[in-house]
Amino acid sequence: MIRVGRAPLSVATAYAELDDARAGGVVLFLGRVRPDVVHGRRVRALDYEAHQPVAEASLQKLAREAQRRFNALRIVLWHRIGPVPVGEPSVIVGVATEHRAPAFAAARFMIDRLKVTLPVWKSVSSPRPRRAVRRR
Amino acid sequence: MPGSVRVLFFATAREAVGTAELSLSVPKSGLSVANLLDEIQLLYPKLAPVLRVSRFVRNGAYLRGRFGMIRPGDEFAIHPPYSGG
Repeated sequence: MIRVGRAPLSVATAYAELDDARAGGVVLFLGRVRPDVVHGRRVRALDYEAHQPVAEASLQKLAREAQRRFNALRIVLWHRIGPVPVGEPSVIVGVATEHRAPAFAAARFMIDRLKVTLPVWKSVSSPRPRRAVRRR
Repeated sequence: MPGSVRVLFFATAREAVGTAELSLSVPKSGLSVANLLDEIQLLYPKLAPVLRVSRFVRNGAYLRGRFGMIRPGDEFAIHPPYSGG
């Protein structure tokens, strides 16, 4: 259900994990690394770091809350750490519910909450010392 | 006899201090979070603006502001504003 790790995130695996015969609505949100320009240089990858045990507990808490609020049947909350190349997902939020409206609402709730409560930080990958990036 | 506290720095806090982790000695009776932060700030003045916007975590649990005590053997983490996702 929750994951904070260095392995690339697979949409197919996330979708499989959301499988539930009762689910009439499944929403998958992917947050991907953008090719922004920072300090005049095109970003090729972002580096994510986490306070791992606290991040895992935070995702567990968020998943439980969303499950309760939206009657979710299944939830996926995954965040990748380490270097993540442009175009690849750094985060996957997925939810399966009986109907579509709570699935959309739950996904929106979880990604918005995750952005402000998850102890994860991004910085631009470069040969120069890592510099933290302000929240967008 | 004093003991030590493990202090973890992330993101901009790590950049200000130049290390991800250090060990600080504290009295056996402990130290208030506010006093511990004062000590850290004296050692690393560049950390001051980061501390103003950070959250603090003791042994994996969030603290309310700067309240609470830190005792030998504790782990104390400084969390600048998050930027995941």
